[in-house]
Amino acid sequence: MARLTRRTFMKMAGLSAAALTMSDRLLMSRAAAQAGAADKEEVGYQICDACNGVPCCGIKFYKTGDIITRMEPWPGFPTATLCSKAYATMQRIYHPQRLKYPMKRTNPKGSPDPGFVRISWDEAYDITVGHMKRIGEKYGPHSVFFYVGDPKEPRAAVQRLAATYGSVNYGDESSVACRKGALTAEVLAFGYGTTGSPPNKDTKSLLVWGTNPPYSGPANDWQNLLDAKERGVKFIVVDPRNTPTATILADIHLQPRLNTTAALAAGMMHVIFKEGLHDEAFCSKWINGIDELKEYVKAFTPEKTEAITWVPAKKIVDAARLYAGNAPGGLKTSPQGTTHDLNAGNNHRAILMIPAICGYMDVPGGVEEPTNPLEGFGGGWANGPPAFCFRKKMDQMRPHRLDNKDFPAFAELNLDVQVNRIVEYIKEGKVKAFLGWGFNTMIWPQTHEYQKAIESLEFSMAVDFFFRPWTHNYVDLVLPGAVNFERIAPFAVHGRRLFGRTPVKPLGECREDWQIACEIGVKLGHPDIFFNGSAEGACNEILKLWNTSYDDLRKNQEKGVTVPPKRPNTYRKYEVGMTRPDGKPGFNTPSGKIEAVSLILKKHGLTALPEYKEGLKISKEYPLMLLSGGRVPYITHSKWRDDAPWLLELQPQPLLDIHPDDAAKRGIKKGDDLILKSEWGQVRVKAKPSVLVRPGIVGLMHGWAKANVNELVPRQFDPVTGYPPYKEVPVQVIKA
Amino acid sequence: MARYGMIVDLTICTGCMTCVLACKQENLTKPGIQWNKILELENTALDEITYVRQSCMHCDNPPCMGVCPTKAISKRADGIVLTDQKTCIGCKACIDACPYSAPRINPKEDYFSGNAMPYEKNVAPYRVQMAGKATRCTLCAHRIDKGMVPACVEGCPSRALIFGDLDDPKSPIRKKLWQSKQLLADKGTHPKVSYIVPKNAFQPSEKRVLEDK
Repeated sequence: MARLTRRTFMKMAGLSAAALTMSDRLLMSRAAAQAGAADKEEVGYQICDACNGVPCCGIKFYKTGDIITRMEPWPGFPTATLCSKAYATMQRIYHPQRLKYPMKRTNPKGSPDPGFVRISWDEAYDITVGHMKRIGEKYGPHSVFFYVGDPKEPRAAVQRLAATYGSVNYGDESSVACRKGALTAEVLAFGYGTTGSPPNKDTKSLLVWGTNPPYSGPANDWQNLLDAKERGVKFIVVDPRNTPTATILADIHLQPRLNTTAALAAGMMHVIFKEGLHDEAFCSKWINGIDELKEYVKAFTPEKTEAITWVPAKKIVDAARLYAGNAPGGLKTSPQGTTHDLNAGNNHRAILMIPAICGYMDVPGGVEEPTNPLEGFGGGWANGPPAFCFRKKMDQMRPHRLDNKDFPAFAELNLDVQVNRIVEYIKEGKVKAFLGWGFNTMIWPQTHEYQKAIESLEFSMAVDFFFRPWTHNYVDLVLPGAVNFERIAPFAVHGRRLFGRTPVKPLGECREDWQIACEIGVKLGHPDIFFNGSAEGACNEILKLWNTSYDDLRKNQEKGVTVPPKRPNTYRKYEVGMTRPDGKPGFNTPSGKIEAVSLILKKHGLTALPEYKEGLKISKEYPLMLLSGGRVPYITHSKWRDDAPWLLELQPQPLLDIHPDDAAKRGIKKGDDLILKSEWGQVRVKAKPSVLVRPGIVGLMHGWAKANVNELVPRQFDPVTGYPPYKEVPVQVIKA
Repeated sequence: MARYGMIVDLTICTGCMTCVLACKQENLTKPGIQWNKILELENTALDEITYVRQSCMHCDNPPCMGVCPTKAISKRADGIVLTDQKTCIGCKACIDACPYSAPRINPKEDYFSGNAMPYEKNVAPYRVQMAGKATRCTLCAHRIDKGMVPACVEGCPSRALIFGDLDDPKSPIRKKLWQSKQLLADKGTHPKVSYIVPKNAFQPSEKRVLEDK
């Protein structure tokens, strides 16, 4: 019947015979399948890896056999709803181009065609472990670099592997460009990492700096902010872009010029000190270097600050008054957005000083520090549980870290190595092999230099979901990773709540990241340490910390398992010795105080105050500033282009956000082909005039293989964090 | 009988596209077909962007229904307007008649040419999308029939989509109805999807929807 209707229609529409055959077949197979549909639909639960946050958002899915058929938000899961990318994971899993088998190159490096052929897992492991053993013996184990890119999920397992093998040189996407820059600044300033705490009933004002949660965070995060707005919390949003966060929430929106964060913060502190709006008692007791800070910001009058930052003087004054005058104020900073410039570390430290001088630290509704972080977890999967990761052994091997000399403060404070100078480390013969999970060369400025460096290694391996030529053309082995629906590890952790995953059978011969790390460990001769290659065994080793197991998680599948807190929530924990590992009162910094003058930076000969420093300058030739990587809600990094056409059709090409005035000056109209160029490189993009960016700034998402914006970014690095200036490159835009 | 409708709160919509994708995976719409679309409305005077969600308005007086030559379009007792793909001949009369540009014609292409996705096999009737036929939002009638809300409403992280029975004084939609306005009300379509719109953005929003024709 369906067929008849179809044919009748096709005749009328006059479509081609070929199309008819194809559509017809599909239609018939569907109809036939429906007629015989007897398979039962079952539910399953998974977490999403789409945006490279961990532990990600909760998915409830429906399956028939092992086929995922549809999905929805996991009811009652802490992250509330999902995002566009999460829904698209359903299309990604069955993408015909997914890597399904281990592959090895057969042509020498540098050949136009690497000649990848399918091999068995045994052969893949034999090759990998053979090189690891040979290179370890010849050059020492620290010459093997372990790396986790996107997703972050396997970090704990890969660190355990690196430590067992004997290499301290483990790095990740966070230590290249993401979380660890801001975290370094936070630890320097406060002694612990925080991007602020969710506003609650006690919060009266909120300083949101450089972050746009509806495009980059879990839904509950955004809903918290909307609820706070509803309660009347005053919002100061600092962002060069007109993001929805600014438009929807901001009572005052400050749009600074790029890389002027420390100046804007100094300008706000100038007003707060001058008008006596700060908490003098807190400042004098708990801030190291408060006098130097006061002295430093004296010069940043609203007028001078306006000249540097382009933010109108009056707005700076108003923002300072609104924040300091509505106590307590909370804080919401980006995990990375404020650290993509050549003054990254000090810029971010400067922001942190604002709630500190107002005395908002760990007071109800202010910048609260969790009383009961999950014991032994080490702050999240981005780090990994210290015991499981053999952190003690890694710490003992610290003198062998590659980054000690280049970025000493970063090296001292982070478990992961700053990877950005790996080009030099490889050239100097310090790195001979590279084992990468979700590893992507496009993360780096001047990507081609990293591609060349990786290519020159004696051995390199990458685990991924797809063959990505910009990375995999330069490696020896490519291993097929299982995607989110097919993984059991890691389990999800939200606060003190734990949730398990119910994986479907992986496609082809795909294996999950944790399993691959564990199986390499087994092949290296450590079956006990690596749970005979079982990802669930590895999870159980960690779950033991809280007297639970994966079986318990399965028994409590939808609701999860809650680890009861040890004590009631309290505040001002620094006053009573609950913040430092030695139990003494104070913050966990060398001075025991919040450090405006950082003793660690001083020790390493770096600028100790969070000073403003002019970075790359615009010129007549390059009069615009490039903000790369400003979040697009349906893209993360280089993912979600071809991975899921559902998302790609939302934006099939690289679009350059340019203010309508800047576009008009150049005769640029929507959809025009443009050349975006800097002193260091150029790409072709399409014009999208938009008030999303302010005049003088253009924006482009990174990760477009044919328009890799990071080729425009120089290999220059902030001395504190080692981060490159993704968000302060002088550029010009011309019609192609 | 219920009379289902929706309010779209543009004052908190972030243009995150979650509703677009929630719909795609729920209804398995064809390439380029978005039953709910997000149109960007740039306000250069205020430096603001409003994200205008556009979809079938499930009009009480649907102009598409009257012009359909094969009577493929019908209005259910609960007010949901549906197109029967088997009866539709793809003549585009509904597209011309709809001021909101809601109906589109399904392309013959699939996302992976010739490669049906496993989840496209053995699908429920509401997920069958036939090439050459007119297609648009069904308000997830199949979910409503099971007592669930539409997939886009369930998915919206901003809770900007408010769904409910317009005739039920206790329904959440009724509480906000007074704040909302119907787009292009002068067309006499009596849409059951209405909008809460930022100050000064109402007429521009109407214009933006018309531009998408």
